[in-house]
Amino acid sequence: MNDLILKSVDELAPLIKNKTLSPVELTKAVLDHAEKSQDKINSYMAFYREEAVEAAKKAEQEIVQGNYRGMYHGMPIALKDNLYFKDKVTTMSSKIHKDFVSDYDATVVRKLREAGVIFTGKLSMHEYAWGITNNNPHYGPVRNPWNLDKIPGGSSGGSGAAVAVGASIASLGTDTAGSIRIPSSACGIVGLKPTHGRVSKYGCYPLAWSLDHIGPMTKTVKDAAGMLEIISGYDRNDPTSVNVAIDNYLGQVTGDVKDLVIGVNEDYFFNEVDEDINKLVRASIQKLVDQGAKVETVKIPTLQHSEWAELVTSLSEASAIHHSDLMNRPDDFGDDIRFLFELGELPSAVDYLQAQQVRRQLKQEFNDVFEKVDVLISPTLPIIAPTIGENFADLNGKKVDLIDNIIRFTGPGNLTGLPALSVPCGFKGDMPVGLQIMGPAFSEGRVLNVGYAIEQTQPLKGRKPLIFTNA
Amino acid sequence: MSLSIQELLENKGIPVKKDHVESLQVKWEGIQALRGSLEGVNIDDADISLKNIPGGDHIDE
Repeated sequence: MNDLILKSVDELAPLIKNKTLSPVELTKAVLDHAEKSQDKINSYMAFYREEAVEAAKKAEQEIVQGNYRGMYHGMPIALKDNLYFKDKVTTMSSKIHKDFVSDYDATVVRKLREAGVIFTGKLSMHEYAWGITNNNPHYGPVRNPWNLDKIPGGSSGGSGAAVAVGASIASLGTDTAGSIRIPSSACGIVGLKPTHGRVSKYGCYPLAWSLDHIGPMTKTVKDAAGMLEIISGYDRNDPTSVNVAIDNYLGQVTGDVKDLVIGVNEDYFFNEVDEDINKLVRASIQKLVDQGAKVETVKIPTLQHSEWAELVTSLSEASAIHHSDLMNRPDDFGDDIRFLFELGELPSAVDYLQAQQVRRQLKQEFNDVFEKVDVLISPTLPIIAPTIGENFADLNGKKVDLIDNIIRFTGPGNLTGLPALSVPCGFKGDMPVGLQIMGPAFSEGRVLNVGYAIEQTQPLKGRKPLIFTNA
Repeated sequence: MSLSIQELLENKGIPVKKDHVESLQVKWEGIQALRGSLEGVNIDDADISLKNIPGGDHIDE
């Protein structure tokens, strides 16, 4: 194994910039490792070896000629297979779209291409992003690099596993109820769901329009900040895009948390949590307090209705998108998502609209809270990722429904559209645990900075996924 | 007269997988229980959050 694959963008970029590392060497190392680990992890849907090596040669030439484009120039990266690449198949890891070819690049793809990213291929996902296991009936399960029997989380499970294992130096995920943050937490990486409207969704196959987001999935917080600077920005092609200036996110990542006010909501975000996860998250908060942060307890009463609002909104919107295929070719869906599409036909228009009223009130309560505190910290997930094929998870010895529980703490970020970051905060046994940081709208810089302060406490203690130690 | 979930879906032209019927019933009852009475939510008099923006989605300054 080539050690290059384990390095972050932040570590590799100076080597590429000063020409001590060739993008061609790096790209070949990542592709070699990705192809070798595919049998065990199954994170890729397609490899673009030939084009990637050609693009890397071009990047190398540009850098030699003094045309260095920035941090991501020459970085070999694969993306989730619901992001359109011009003239390439984008499957959504589905049977129905297995031959779908887009005639344009998604905005995020175009922006990364312009930043000099080398695309190594497309990554597996839960079919149509409508699930959190990545146990795909058409293309096989993606496996968690920390324990091959466990799910990597989803729906961006291919992205989570590939970044954790070094099969992609960084990646993008999409997040409708937690699909960036869930696999980031389960795979021990960093995942940021930005503010709704901050990153264009043009050229991303939708799951639920009003809840969908695109964001970075990376090895480090600085890598996420650097990627966010590239993919952010107003886009007329996306009706939900918001015209707000792009911040210097990297510049805000200093790790200084002196006088930071951390909000803790006990009633919802620390209710029914795995005891070990609870302890790890509280220990991380204490480490921030030791550095000068303060903690305030906050109330957000409408959170009690958020699970219902998230379910009704996501089920209804997803079923509207797939209504025709559900009528005409239902057997072409995997059984689990066909069930969810059937379920999504049941809520009434009144249910849907009342769910939007819940969202409106929830947003107001979060806004009020962020008048008093700078960020909210909670566990990303209340449970540890279960074994592949199980629909239940263990919660302090109790068997609980997997989907309902795994999205409990991530869903409010989608309902409100507020930025939410998952960073590793330790381990339970052999499985990593994530901590979630939420902030006010467009406060990604602040949220990333708090994540960086936690990252600096070395919660992963240098441990590497099992696949490396058992290779 | 109340329709079963299977009838509701089939009336919409959606063929329901037989072994889903029971689980759909359970899950749907669960969602309704989760809804409860929406106590504390300002359903009646708050303006709806869906927006109607004249001139399109993006207004240029």
